[in-house]
Amino acid sequence: MAIRVSAEEAGLGRERSGGRRPAGLVLACAIVLLAVAAGLAAPWLTPNSPLDQDLLAINQGPSTDFPLGTDHLGRDVFARLLYGARSTLGISVAGTAIAFAIGAGLALLALAFGRWPAMLLFAAIDLVRALPGTLLALLLIVGLGSGPGPLIVALGVSFTPLVAYVTRATYLRETARDYVQAATSFCGGRLHILRRHILPNIAGALVTQAAIILPRCIVTESVLSFLGVGSSPDAPTWGRMIADSSRFVERAPHAILVPLVALVLLTLSLSAIGNHLRRRLDPVRDGAGDPAGMDEAEPAEPARSPLATA
Amino acid sequence: MRPILEIADLDIAIAGRRVVRDLSLSIAPGETMALIGESGSGKSMTAAAVMGLLPRGARIAEHSRLRFDGVPLSPEDEVAMRPLRGRAMSMVFQDPMSCLNPFMVVAGQIDEALQRLGAGNGGQRRARMLELLGLVELPDPAVLARRYPHELSGGQQQRVMLAMALAAEPRLLIADEPTSALDATVQAEILGLLKSLQRKLGNALLFITHDLAAAAQLAHRIVVMRAGRVVEYGPAAVVLGDPREEYTRKLVSTRRMLAAPPPGRPEARAVDPALRIEGLVHDYPARRLFGRPFRSLHGVSLTIAPGETLGILGESGSGKSTLARLAIGLARSGAGEIALFGTSIAQRARLDRALRRRCQIIFQNPYGALNPRLTIEAAMREPLELLGLSGRDDRVRIEAALVDVGLGGEHLARYPHQLSGGQRQRVCIARALLSDPELLICDEIVSALDATVQMQVIAMLKALQAKRGFAMMFVGHDIEIVRWVSDRIAVMHRGRIVEQGPAAAIVTAPQAPYTQMLMAATLGSVAWPVPAGTSKGCDFECPIPGIEPMSGGGANARSLRPIKDEDVLSHATAAAVDGEDAA
Amino acid sequence: MTRIVAVLASLLRGLLQAALIVMLTFFLCRVMPGDVVDVLGLEGGLTAEQQAAMRHSLGLDRPLPLQFADWVGHALTGDFGRSIRFDRPVGEMLGAALPVTAKLAALSFCLGVALALLLAIAATARPSRWLDAAIDLVNTWSIAVPTFCAGVAAILVFSIWLGWLPVIGGLLVPVLVVGLDNAGQIVKPLGEELREAVLLPHVRTARAKGLSPWRTAFAHVLPAAMPVVLALSGLVLGGLVAGSLTMEVLFALPGLGSLTLNAIHGRDYPIILAAVTLIAVALVAINTIVDMLHRLIDPRVS
Repeated sequence: MAIRVSAEEAGLGRERSGGRRPAGLVLACAIVLLAVAAGLAAPWLTPNSPLDQDLLAINQGPSTDFPLGTDHLGRDVFARLLYGARSTLGISVAGTAIAFAIGAGLALLALAFGRWPAMLLFAAIDLVRALPGTLLALLLIVGLGSGPGPLIVALGVSFTPLVAYVTRATYLRETARDYVQAATSFCGGRLHILRRHILPNIAGALVTQAAIILPRCIVTESVLSFLGVGSSPDAPTWGRMIADSSRFVERAPHAILVPLVALVLLTLSLSAIGNHLRRRLDPVRDGAGDPAGMDEAEPAEPARSPLATA
Repeated sequence: MRPILEIADLDIAIAGRRVVRDLSLSIAPGETMALIGESGSGKSMTAAAVMGLLPRGARIAEHSRLRFDGVPLSPEDEVAMRPLRGRAMSMVFQDPMSCLNPFMVVAGQIDEALQRLGAGNGGQRRARMLELLGLVELPDPAVLARRYPHELSGGQQQRVMLAMALAAEPRLLIADEPTSALDATVQAEILGLLKSLQRKLGNALLFITHDLAAAAQLAHRIVVMRAGRVVEYGPAAVVLGDPREEYTRKLVSTRRMLAAPPPGRPEARAVDPALRIEGLVHDYPARRLFGRPFRSLHGVSLTIAPGETLGILGESGSGKSTLARLAIGLARSGAGEIALFGTSIAQRARLDRALRRRCQIIFQNPYGALNPRLTIEAAMREPLELLGLSGRDDRVRIEAALVDVGLGGEHLARYPHQLSGGQRQRVCIARALLSDPELLICDEIVSALDATVQMQVIAMLKALQAKRGFAMMFVGHDIEIVRWVSDRIAVMHRGRIVEQGPAAAIVTAPQAPYTQMLMAATLGSVAWPVPAGTSKGCDFECPIPGIEPMSGGGANARSLRPIKDEDVLSHATAAAVDGEDAA
Repeated sequence: MTRIVAVLASLLRGLLQAALIVMLTFFLCRVMPGDVVDVLGLEGGLTAEQQAAMRHSLGLDRPLPLQFADWVGHALTGDFGRSIRFDRPVGEMLGAALPVTAKLAALSFCLGVALALLLAIAATARPSRWLDAAIDLVNTWSIAVPTFCAGVAAILVFSIWLGWLPVIGGLLVPVLVVGLDNAGQIVKPLGEELREAVLLPHVRTARAKGLSPWRTAFAHVLPAAMPVVLALSGLVLGGLVAGSLTMEVLFALPGLGSLTLNAIHGRDYPIILAAVTLIAVALVAINTIVDMLHRLIDPRVS
C-alpha cells in the first residue's frame, strides 16, 4: 500500500538541511571564487610574466621579486599560479561544456526523437565505453595533435559517455512517469514534454553531474599534462606546472608544492560543492532510508478530506 | 487463560514522531486478533515491535510493557529476542517476492530455519521440509524445493514463507498484510490456508490488514487503529456489525456502500458507440536481441456506448492497463481496430486535438500523474493550452473544476506534495474533465488510495458522471468497486476478455470458469456481518449539490451472512477480555 | 540454454568493442601530425628522398585500409610486427613490460577492493561517525588528488624530507597510491549499497527466522550486495589503467604504460597499436568475466 513518495517529496524538500549553511561549503565556494578571481585578474595582480625565464635565478625561494620563488627555469611561480588558474579553469570548463553538449544535448534530442537515433547513439557510446577515459583522451590527443583545442575536445569526448548514461537514466526515469503520459494525452508534443516536464525535472541531476565532472576534468587534464600531452607550454595549467617541476622535487620543492596544493584545494572544493548539490537536487538514493514494508508515516499535513467534513 | 501476548501502553517514536501511542491489547492462545488500519496507522510498527524488528531509529517508550506468555519482552535487545524469533513466534510479511532470498533455493531457505531449531540430521530435516511444504498445500514439494523464489507464483511464494514460519510450530504467528500483494483468487486461498493451519496447529495469530473482509473472515477479535491509536476494540462480529466509533463506522460503511447498488445511470442513447474495439492485439517488444515479444492482448473486442460505464476487471498482468492506454492512443497496437467516436485510431501515430478533447485518461498513481515542479494551477492550465481551449477565463474555469471535485481555489497555488493522495487524484480528475470529455478512461484510479478515500473518490466520480453524462472505461481489480461503478463488466484474463455482460449478472451468475473462480474467491470469503434490522446507509455525503446522497443498506445482490464464530473463542471470553481492557 | 546465449552475446559485444577500439587507435595514430619517419628524420638528418624510401619500405605510403587489413592479418597470427625505433619484435617488448604492469595493477586492485570492503562492512556493522568520516576522507582523496600528485607528494615527504625510501624502485609506494585511489572510487557506493542491503525485506525475514548475525550477513546480505561489488570492481579498472600509467612514468617502472607513452612520443605505431590492443582485450575480458560472475550469482538474470 505504501507508495514511494519520498523521492518526489524529498526532491522538493526546501526545508531540509536548509537554513544553516555548513562552514565547509562556504569555504569551498570561497576557494572556487578565489581561483576564478585569480585567473581573471592575473595581469593586475603580478607584474611578472609566467613565461619569462631567468636562468640566473633558478629554484629560488620566496623573495620580494618572486613572492613564491622561481622554478627550475627561473620562472615566477606566483605569476604561473595566477595565469595557471586561468588556463586550468578555462580548459576544464570548456571540456565539461563539450561533454554536456554531446552527452546531454545530443542524447536528449536523440531520446526525444524516436527509438533509432537513440539506439545508434548509445550503441556508438557503448563501444567506446570499454576504454578508460584517460586512455581515450590520450589517444584522441595523439590523433588530433597538441594544443588547447584538441585538449579540450579530448577531455570533452572522454567524459561524454558518463554524461550520456546519466542523461539517459534520468530521462527514462522521467518519461516513465504518468505526468508525461498525461501530457501526451493532452496532445503535448515531444518538444513541449521535453521542455515543460522532463528538463525541469532532470536539470537538478544534470547540474549535479556537471559539478562532479568539472573537478574530474581538472584532474584528467593534469594527468595528461604530466604524461606530456596536456596543455601547451605557453599557457601552462597547474597540472603542467606540477609535471614540469616533478623532476626537480629535491632542489625546488616549493615550485611543485604551490601548484599541487592549489590544484588539490580547487578539486576538493568543487567536489564538496558537487556533493552538496547531489544531496540537494538529485535525491535518487536518498529515499532508501525508509524501511521497506513499514507503515507510511503520518503525512506532515494531515489529509483532511473535504468529503469527511462536508 | 494466560494470554500468549500482552501489550500495555505501547508507545513507539521515530525521530521524535510518535507512530504508535498507548496501544494495549492481549491475545489468548489459539486466538486470532486482527489489527485493522489504513496506511500510516502504525499497525505494522506494532508487529515489528513484538518481533523486535523495529527499524533503526525507532524507539519504544520506557513505560511500555510487552509480555510473551507471561515473560517480559525487551524488543530492543537483539540478543534476548533472537532465541524467541523463529521458535516461539514467527512472522510472514506483505510482499513474499521480496521477502524470500532471491539467491537461494526454497529448500535452502527452509532448511536454514530447521537447522536453527537443531532438528536432526540432513535426512530428517529434508523429510521435515517436505512435510512442511505439504502442510501449506503446495503440490509436488520435492520439485518446488529445488526452485528459486522468482520461479514461483505469488501464492506459492507466500506458502513457502508460511512453511518457513511454521517450521518451529510457533505459539504466535504474526501475519503482516500477508495477502495484500496477491491477486484476489490467491488471497482467498491464503486466507483459507491460514485459518485451516491455525485449526491444525493451534497457534495464536496476530493478523494485520487493511482489508475488512479478510479480517471478518479470520478474526475472533478486532482492533481498529488510526494514526497510531486504537480506535475500537472488541469481538469481530460486534466491531464490524455494529461499530461504535465514527471512524470504524466509516470504514465499515465504505464496504457496505459497495454492496448497495449505485445511483441510477443515464439512458444510453442509441448512436455511435463512444469506443469500439475489435480484435485488438498488442505485443511488448522483446527485451533482448533474440527474445520473443510478449503478447499482452490476444484479440480483445468491446464497445462502450455514450454515457455508459464499462468496468474492466482483471488481476495483475491481465493486460487491462495496456488496453486502457491503447484505447486512448498512448500506445500503438499490433493489429485490430480501435474506433473513438467512430474515428479509427489504431493506425494513427498521434490523435488530433479534436479527438483528444473528447477522451481523457486518469492514471493509477496520483503521485506520479502530477509533475512535482508545477503548481496545481500550472498543471491544470496545461491541458487548456495544449488542447486549444485557453481563454481569458482560464483561472475561473480551473477553480470551478476544482470545486466540482470537492477542492477549491485555495489549492491552486499548492504543489502536489502538499496534497494528500486523495486530493491529488481529485486534481487529476478535475484536470481530465476540463475539456468536457465524452469518454473518460480510469486506469485503476483508486487502488493506490486508502479504503475510505477510495469510496469518496468513486462516489464523487459517479456523481459527476450523473451530472455530465460522460462514458467511462473503469479499469480495476477490486470486484466490488468495479461492480459498484460499472453498468457492464468485461472480465479480463491473460490478455483475453473471458466474459462480458451486465454488472449484476457477471457478479451473481458468472458463466466463464475463470469468472466463477474469481467471484467464488471474493464472495465465499466475504462474510459480511450485517446485523438484522440495521438500516444504516452510506455515511458519505455527496459533495455535489443537487445529487441525493446514496442510500440503501443491506438490500443487495449478495447473500450476506453474519460471521460464524465456530472456533475456539466464545463470545463470553471475548467480551470479558474486552471489558477488562476497556476499563 | 538462454544463459549460454546471453554469455555468448556479451562475449560478442566485448569482441566488437575491442575491435572498434583497435580500429580507432589505428586511425588516430595515422592521422596524428608527424609520423615516425619525420621523428627519425629530425634525429638522424635524413634527406627527403631517404625519408620517402623509408616510408615505402615500411609500407606507410599505401592506402590506410590496406595497411590496417595487413596489420590485422598479422596480429591474428600473433605477429604484432617490429618496433620501428628499436627494431625489436613488438611481442618481445610487450612480454617484458607486461609482468611489471600486471603486478602493479593486480596488487593495487586487491589493496583497493580489500580496503573499500573493510571500511564499508565495518561502517555497516557498527555505524559510527568516525568510520563515516574515514570513508568520506578516502573518497574525497581519490576525487581531488590525482595519483601522480600523491606519488610526487610521497616522494617529497618520504624520500626527501624523511629519507626513508629510495626515490626510485620498489612497488610499495605506487601500489599504496593507486590502491588508495581505487578504494576511494568505490568505497562510497559500496557503503551505501551495503546499508541498503541490510534493510532488504529478505534480510528482515532472515532475522525473523532468528538466524545468527553471521549467518544473516554471509548468506543473505552479502549475496544481495555482490552484483554491485562486481560492477564496482569493473569500474575500478579504468582508474587502474590511468593510475598505472602515471605511476610507471613517475617511478620509472619499465611497464606497459611507459612503453606506450614512449612509443607515442616517438610515433612508434606498432607498439602503440599492440599495447592498446592488449589493454583493450584485457579490459573487455575482465568485463565479460564480471558479467558472467554476475549471472552466476544472481539466478534472476537469465
